[in-house]
Order: sequence, then C-alpha cells, then structure tokens
Amino acid sequence: MPIKFEHVSHIYSDGTPFRYVALQDTNLEFREGAFTALIGQTGSGKSTLVQHINALLLPSEGTVYVMDREIKAGSEPKGLKSLRKDVGLVFQFPEYQLFEETVLKDVAFGPKNFGISQAEAEEKAKAALRLCGLSQEYDERSPLELSGGQKRRVAIAGILAMDPKVLVLDEPTAGLDPQGALSMMKLFRDLNQKHGKTIIMVTHDMEQVFSFCDEVVVMEDGRPKIQTTVQEFFRDSSLCEEMNILPPALIRLKDALKKNGFEIDEDVKDIRTLAKLTAKQVKHHG
Amino acid sequence: MGNITLGRYIPLDSPIHKLDPRAKIGAMLLILIAIFFPAGWIGYAIIFAAVSYIIIRSRLSISFIWKSMRPMLIMLVFLLIINVLVIHTGVPLFSIGPLTVYSEAILQTLYIVVRLLLMIMITTCLTATTKPLDMTLGLEDLLKPFEKIGVPSHEIAMLISIALRFIPDLIDETNRIIKAQESRGVDLKEGKLMERIMAILSLIVPLFVSAFQRAEDLANAMEARGYQPGEKRTRYKVLKMKGADWALLLGAALVLAGMVWLAYFR
Repeated sequence: MPIKFEHVSHIYSDGTPFRYVALQDTNLEFREGAFTALIGQTGSGKSTLVQHINALLLPSEGTVYVMDREIKAGSEPKGLKSLRKDVGLVFQFPEYQLFEETVLKDVAFGPKNFGISQAEAEEKAKAALRLCGLSQEYDERSPLELSGGQKRRVAIAGILAMDPKVLVLDEPTAGLDPQGALSMMKLFRDLNQKHGKTIIMVTHDMEQVFSFCDEVVVMEDGRPKIQTTVQEFFRDSSLCEEMNILPPALIRLKDALKKNGFEIDEDVKDIRTLAKLTAKQVKHHG
Repeated sequence: MGNITLGRYIPLDSPIHKLDPRAKIGAMLLILIAIFFPAGWIGYAIIFAAVSYIIIRSRLSISFIWKSMRPMLIMLVFLLIINVLVIHTGVPLFSIGPLTVYSEAILQTLYIVVRLLLMIMITTCLTATTKPLDMTLGLEDLLKPFEKIGVPSHEIAMLISIALRFIPDLIDETNRIIKAQESRGVDLKEGKLMERIMAILSLIVPLFVSAFQRAEDLANAMEARGYQPGEKRTRYKVLKMKGADWALLLGAALVLAGMVWLAYFR
C-alpha cells in the first residue's frame, strides 16, 4: 500500500491574475517503509507535493493514492481524519504550532483529537517525548519558554504521539545547530528502521540525504525529474552536477581521487574505508 | 482567504497604474463628493461613464469589479425591505398581503444602491491600481499641510504602511497554522462547542505569539538602522505630478462642477 501520485497537478489561485501552477502532471510512487528524500530548488513544488499526502491540499487534476485511500480531483475526500492520523505531517518550523500551557498537554493535543481518552493520550505523549529526547522534567513546563531546538522536539513529538504510519517532514532540521540536527536525523533513522515508519523528508542538505536516506526524488519546475536510490544518485557527481547540486563531501573527495588515478570502489560509503583504500594504494605504489 | 477582492492591489501595466497616488486619491475624493449631490439620473450616468472609462483604461477585468460589488447585494435586499416598510409616497405599484409597495420606495432604494455601487467602483479602482506603499506615500503628502495643527502625518503613514505590510504575512501565517493544526487532527468546521473553542484557541495562541515576535523583530531592525520618529528624512521614491495626473484631477473637478450645476443651477 504505497503512496502514489497519478497525473497530479496543483494550481494556486486559478482564474485570477495570481494563478500559479505549482505541480504539473506528476507521476510518482513512494515505497512503503523507505526513507525518501525530496530535494529540489525553492519553488520546485516540494512543499505543495507533500501537502497532498495528508490531503491538506487537494489535487486540481489527477489522483493521489495514500495507502487504501483515494483522493481524486474534483471530489470531496472522505475519511480525512483517519488519513491525517496515519500520515503525520511536520511543517517547516513546527515550533510555531505550539499553544498549550504545558509541553505534555501540547503533545497530547494531537492524539486526543483522534478520539482517545485523556489518560491514553498522555501516555502516548510521554512516550513520544522520551523518544524525542525530552526527559520528564520538561512535561510540566510551558512550551513557549523552551529553546528553539527543544521547541522543535516538542512539536515533532506532537506528531509522533499520533502514532502515524507515514511521517512527512518538511525541512525538519532547518535552523538547528549541527549537533541538534544530527541527533534529530538519528531519531528519524530509528523511527524508520526500528519502528517501521515510512518517511518522506524535504531537505536541502545533501549530506543528510547521503547518510540517512534510501531513495531520492528530485523536483524541478513542479515535476519529479529524477527518482532513484541514494546509492545510484551519488554514484559519481555527474547527476548532481546536472541538477546543479553540490554533492556530499565524500563524493567530491572520491571524484578527486579518481581523477588522480586512484581506483575507488563505487560502494564506499564512509570516510574510514575510503582512507584505508587510499592508503593501501599509496603504499602499493610506494 | 484568497477570495477577498475588496481593497486588493492587482499588478497590471496600465496608464492608470502609473498615475501619481496623490492625484488618484484627490480625484477619488472629488468624485465621492460629486456622488452625493442630488444630480439625478443624468448625473449618475455621467459619473458612471467617467468611472467606466477609468476602469477600462486600467485594464481591470469586469469580473473583478463585479466580485468586489457582490457583497453589496445583501445590502440592497436589506435597504429594499426597510424602504418598502417605511416609504408610502408615490404611486402604489402592487401589494403583497397587507403590504403595499410604492414607486417611491423602489426609486429611493435604487438611488442609494446606485450611489453605493459607484462608490465601490471608484474605491476599488483606486486600491486595485495603487500599490499600498504608494498609497501611504500619497496619503503622507496629502496630510502634510495638517502638520501645522499637530497631525503627525509621517507617523500615520508609517503606521498604515507597516499594518498593510503585515496583512499578507499574517494571512500566510494563519493559513500555515491552520494547516499545521489540521495535521494534528483539528477540525475547524465541525465538532462540539468545547472542541471548537479548543480548535480556535490552537490557532489564536500561535498567531499572537508569532505576531508579537514579528513586531519585536521589526522594531529592533528599525532601531538598529537608526529610525527615529519625527526626524526629517529623504525618500527613496519621490512623487512627481505629471500632465496626466493634472488631467485626472481636472477631469474629476469638472465632474464635480457638473454635478453641482445639475443639482442647483439648472
């Protein structure tokens, strides 16, 4: 039961001078259980695309299939609530959605909206908060007095507490310090690998794509231009250059070494192995 | 929220868009005054012709003007009911049950409605063809003479332009927060009273937080660049009246003079 886009277009403000085609004739399938990165320049339609997955935006043309549901252009969608429970969407700068008096209440807000009891919602909220690395001492504090990174964790916990099957993340680490960003990415990897969540993440950070994701979709001018595995995408820097993307540091290093006569295995994915391989060849030529 | 047409700027390339905002505001005031003279149907026909000419030259679509007038239909029905109940002069036209409708009631309603529609047409024409920032510049200049009696014209203009500048931002922000909370299962259209109060609260609190944050950021940025109210400052955009601007004012003045003549000296 994957997520599938069939001939989907989205037009903003149709019939006015502000008419803007954000998505056109998009055909795309997100594999279940995969950690997919969605990349592309600003205005290429990434955010518009992901908002179709939980029916915040409805297609102007075409059909979106999300698990067993069908969202068709021109027809009123059914079962929106259960769809939104199954697809958790974390917006850019999600800390702006916090409003409750305490962290715990705010995180429990989502699950409670989906009709479970107060006690059960708080149970789920606590579990989600711990998962996001916020200890018990934060439960009773006001979300507005936390730091930016902590607020972000609370907001993400608010989505995780709904226990969605699919997690859609729109630039989840934007504006975080490098360390905070890294631990957040590790959290997402755990959610994907240990908890079996399908993750679709919009990002501009190629290092994140390279180290954490399974598949890549490149958007350009409102259409998916490339869909492939991360391994294939970063095999060498030619695809990146074609798309005007700066490849990850490791790939650039591999390319530079290759250009200078080293023989580098395509599958080398970390700096240690690469260093050993290079050292061996240097010694060999001695 | 994208369907509000009243007071919205439409970026087009037309001779009307290029006119000096002071001339446009001045001409609008003159025509608005002209509308209030009891100049009869000939007078309204003249004003309608003048306004139509400006709308055609401004390349605004008829459907846009129509959309901005549509809310007035409710007003029309309301006025008609009041007038039918109150006015009992003229020729009785027909009766519905115990209620007789007189010709004067219909005529008075039509008078008011025509005036209202003309006013909306002309103000829409101004707001749709003038950038909000140009409008405040024009307003500042027009208020300048009142500085002598203590009207802080620059501060008023600054207030208006900041407020206008934040409207699209706050609309975007509201839409964003609505979407974020909808993703958390908030249902803004249905639900019990308590749930709906909670839903609205989940929008208002973040909106206030971000509005205050924005206001503080802006205040800091302005202070960091040495902004001080009441200080003399030059402008990036200097307004200059050209031939076409004077022609517009003259045209509006002629229409006003015509209405006065039609109303009192004929």
